[in-house]
Amino acid sequence: MTLTGTVQTVPPEKRRRRSRGFAPAVPVLTFLLLCFTLPVLALLLRSVMEPHLGLQNYAALLATSTYANVLENTFVISFIVTAITTLIGLPLAWFIAVAPSRVGRFMFGIVILSMWTNLLARTYAWMVLLQDNGPINNFLIWTGIIQNPLPLYGSMAGVVIGMVYIMLPFMVISLRGPLASLDPSMFQAASLCGASRLQSFTRIFLPLLLPGLAAGGLIIFVMSLGYYITPSLLGGAQDMMLAELIAQQVQTLLNWGLAGAASFVLLVVTLTLYAVQARYLAPHGLKRS
Amino acid sequence: MLLDFSQLGWWRIALCAVAGVAVVFLLAPLCLLIALSFDSSQWLQFPPPGWTLQWYREVLADPNWLNSFLTSVELGIVVTLASVFLGLLAGFALARGNFPGREMLRGFFLTPMIMPSIVLGIALYATFLRLHLAGTFLGFVLAHLVLALPFSIVAITSALEQTDKSLEDAAMLCGASLWEARVRVILPAIRHGIFSAAIFSFLTSWDEVVVAIFMASPGLQTLPVRMLGEVRQNLSPDIAVVSSLLVLGTILLMGLTALFNKDSKR
Amino acid sequence: MSGAYLELRNLRKEFGDFVAINNISLRIQKGEFITFLGPSGSGKSTTLYAIAGFIEPNAGDVLLNGRSLVRVSPNHRDIGMVFQRYTLFPHLTVAENIAFPLRVRRRPKAEIEAKVKEMLDLVHLTPMRDRKPAQLSGGQQQRVALARALAYDPQILLMDEPLSALDKKLREDIQAEIERIHLETGVTIIYVTHDQEEALRLSDRIVLFNHGGIEQVGTGEDLYDHPVSTFTAGFIGNSNLIDVHLQSGFPHLPDGTKLYNYQPNREGAKRLMLRPEDLFLAKEGIPVQITGRTYLGDVIAYMVRTGWGQELSVRTQRQDSNLQAYVGDTVCVGFNHEKAYIIPE
Repeated sequence: MTLTGTVQTVPPEKRRRRSRGFAPAVPVLTFLLLCFTLPVLALLLRSVMEPHLGLQNYAALLATSTYANVLENTFVISFIVTAITTLIGLPLAWFIAVAPSRVGRFMFGIVILSMWTNLLARTYAWMVLLQDNGPINNFLIWTGIIQNPLPLYGSMAGVVIGMVYIMLPFMVISLRGPLASLDPSMFQAASLCGASRLQSFTRIFLPLLLPGLAAGGLIIFVMSLGYYITPSLLGGAQDMMLAELIAQQVQTLLNWGLAGAASFVLLVVTLTLYAVQARYLAPHGLKRS
Repeated sequence: MLLDFSQLGWWRIALCAVAGVAVVFLLAPLCLLIALSFDSSQWLQFPPPGWTLQWYREVLADPNWLNSFLTSVELGIVVTLASVFLGLLAGFALARGNFPGREMLRGFFLTPMIMPSIVLGIALYATFLRLHLAGTFLGFVLAHLVLALPFSIVAITSALEQTDKSLEDAAMLCGASLWEARVRVILPAIRHGIFSAAIFSFLTSWDEVVVAIFMASPGLQTLPVRMLGEVRQNLSPDIAVVSSLLVLGTILLMGLTALFNKDSKR
Repeated sequence: MSGAYLELRNLRKEFGDFVAINNISLRIQKGEFITFLGPSGSGKSTTLYAIAGFIEPNAGDVLLNGRSLVRVSPNHRDIGMVFQRYTLFPHLTVAENIAFPLRVRRRPKAEIEAKVKEMLDLVHLTPMRDRKPAQLSGGQQQRVALARALAYDPQILLMDEPLSALDKKLREDIQAEIERIHLETGVTIIYVTHDQEEALRLSDRIVLFNHGGIEQVGTGEDLYDHPVSTFTAGFIGNSNLIDVHLQSGFPHLPDGTKLYNYQPNREGAKRLMLRPEDLFLAKEGIPVQITGRTYLGDVIAYMVRTGWGQELSVRTQRQDSNLQAYVGDTVCVGFNHEKAYIIPE
C-alpha cells in the first residue's frame, strides 16, 4: 500500500490521446493514395512532359479550332442540359412533395427506377427512340406535325434529350430535402398577408428553394462536363464533348500529353465549381450565421 | 397554399400536366426496352409487328452474355465486400477518432466522388499498364473500389455519427473490448448504413462503364462493357433483352431495399 | 491502510485550458449510495467518467479495494453504469441486453439464463423479456439498463443522470425502484444528478461539486443545515443570506439587531443563513414590508423587504399563519435565533 501513496502522473498518454483513433484510417488512406492520387498526378504530369517538357499540349488544346470547338460544345451542352433539367425537375419535385402521399411515393419510385436502371440500357432506349424512323419521329409524322423526320439521333438535340433524362433524377433528389423543410403555414401566412399565388411563388417559394436549385444545378452541370458515354452514343462527330476527346486521344491516338492536358482542364473546372458550392451554397445548417 | 395540393387552384393543373409529361418521359424508354425485347422484327420496328421470345432464348443461350454477367456479379461482390470493410475502417476513424486534420481527411476520402470518371479511367489505365494490372480482375477491383469507396464511407460515417457513442461505452463497461464492442453492438446498430453502403458500392460497380472500358480486356468484360460494344456495332434486339432483364433486376432491388427499410424502422 | 472501498486521490483532468477536475480526493465505503451533485460543468460527470475509465486523468489515482484502476481499461474494471439515454443495444431483446455482459464474459449458458431471470425479477420486467428496446417506455428502458448494469455483480454501479429524460411522476417511481434495489443488492452506487431533491432523497452522502472541485461532502442534513459555504447554502434548498457583523461572539443584523446566538471565537463580518421555513410573520421581530404573497396550498410564500432594503423569502404553513398579511402591509418577521446559522467561510 505504500507504493500507491504517491500521486501517479500519466503524462506519456497525453500526446497519444490527442490523436486518438487515426489508425483505422491508415489502410484506407494508403489505398487511395496509391490507386487514386498517384495515378491522377502521374497523368497530369504527363501533360507537361510529353512529348517534351513544356505547355505545348495546353497551347494545342486552346489554339486548335477542333479542340476549342470541343471545349465550347462541352460548356454549351452542359449549360442547356442543366437549364432544361431544372425547368422540368422543379415542378416534378414540387408535385412529388405536395401530391397525395401514395401518388408522390409512386412518382418518386419511378424517378429512382430510372436512375438505378443501367446507364447503357437507358442510352440504348434513346438511341432507338431518336432514330429517323424511330417511335418519336413516326408519331410526329403520323400526327401531321411534321412531314420529314427531325434529325434527332446524331445531333446536339439528341445529346441534350438523353442527358436530361439521365440528370433529371439528380435534380429531383436535390430538391427533395429543401422542399420537405418548407413550412406550409408560411404560405398560409403569406396569403393572409395578401400575397397571390404568383407572389407567394416568386417571393417566398423560389427564394427558399434557391440554395437547393443552385446545388442541384451545379452538380448536374459538373457531371455533364465530364460525361462520356451518352454524348458519344447519341451525338454526331460535330457534337463531341471533352470526355470523348480525352478517350479518343488515349485509345486511338495514344496522345497521352493532350489527354492529360484536357483532363487537367476538366479537373480544374470541376474542382473550382465544387469549391464554389462548398463555400457559398452549403446547406443553411452548416453555415455559420 | 403552395404546399397544399387541394389549394393550388389553377397551379394544380399546370403542376399535374408537367408531372404527367415528366412521368411519360421517364417511363417511355423503360417501356420501350421491354416492348422491343419481345419484338418479332429484327429491325426494331415500333409498334412491333408481332411478339416473340426468340431473343430471350438467344441471349440466355449465349455464353458471352452469361460470362460478362458473371464477371459483373463477381466484381460487384468483391468490390462491395472490400468497400464495406474499408468504409467501416474509415468510418470509425472519421466518426470516433479525434486527431488533427480529420476534416481534411474526410474531404480527401470523398474526392473520388467528384472526379470525372474519364480522368480516373485513363489515369488508372496508364498506371495499371505499367504495373501489369490492366485487363486483370485485380485491376478491375481496385479501380471500381476507388469509385465505390466514397459512397460506402458516407453511408457508414453518417450512420456511426447518428449512433450514440455511449453504446460503445456501455458495451465496454459490460466487459467487451473496444473492437468486440464495435463488432457486437455497433455493427448491428448501424446495419442500415452498412446495407446502404453495400447497395451503393454494388450499384457503382455494376453500372460503371467508363472506367471499366479501360480496365477490360477481350477476355474480361463486364456486362456494361459488352453492352457498349454491342450498341456501338449494331442495335440488335439482344441489348433490349439484356436491358429489360436489368430493369427487372432494378425493380427487384428497389423492392428489397423498401422491405429492408420497413424492417429497420420497426 | 485507507479503509475506503473506492478512493479518488488528487484526481485532476484538463481539457486544453479548462480544468474539469481540480485535485479531487474522496473516499467511499462499500455499500454506500453516494450522489455527485452540482451544476453543469462542475466536474461531476467528468469524475464519474474517470471512474468508469472513459476519461484518463492527467494526474491522480482511482483506487478500488486498494488497487489502482488508472491503467485498467473500462472493460476490465468490472464497473456497472447506467447512462443518461438508456443506451440499450437496439438490436437485442430485453433478455439479450441483460445477458450481454455475461456472454462477453463467456459464462456458462445455465448461469446466464438464471442470472437474466433473477435480474428481470429484480426490475419487475419478466413479461417484457422478449421485447426490443424500441417497444418499451422510457422508464422500462431505464430499468433494463439498470438490470444489465447489475447482471455481472459489478463492484460499483455508476449512474449518470439516469432519470433526467423521464417525466416527474415516472422519475419518482424509478427513484423508489432504485432505492429498493440498493437495499436488496447492497451494491455501492455513485449517482450523478443536478437535481438536489433527488440527491437528498436517495443518497447516504452527497458530494457537492463546484468549478471542478468538491465543495462539501456530507449527508443531506449536513449540507442543508450546516453548509460550509454560500454556494452550498444557495444550491441546496432556498436560503436567505444576510450579512452580519459579529461582536464579542454575537451576530448583529445590518439594522443593528443583536441575535442571541453565541458564536464562540468568531469576530467580524460574516454571512448568516436563514431558511425561509424558519421565518414567520409576527408582531415583533425585524420590521418588514410585504412585497409579494403567493398561495401554494399547504404553504404561503411571502417576499418581504427589510429596513435595510434586502428581499427575504418567508414560507409559512397555512394552518400556522395566525397572522394574515397582504402586499403592502407592514409586519414583522420573527425567527428562533438558534436557527440562525453562520456560514463558516
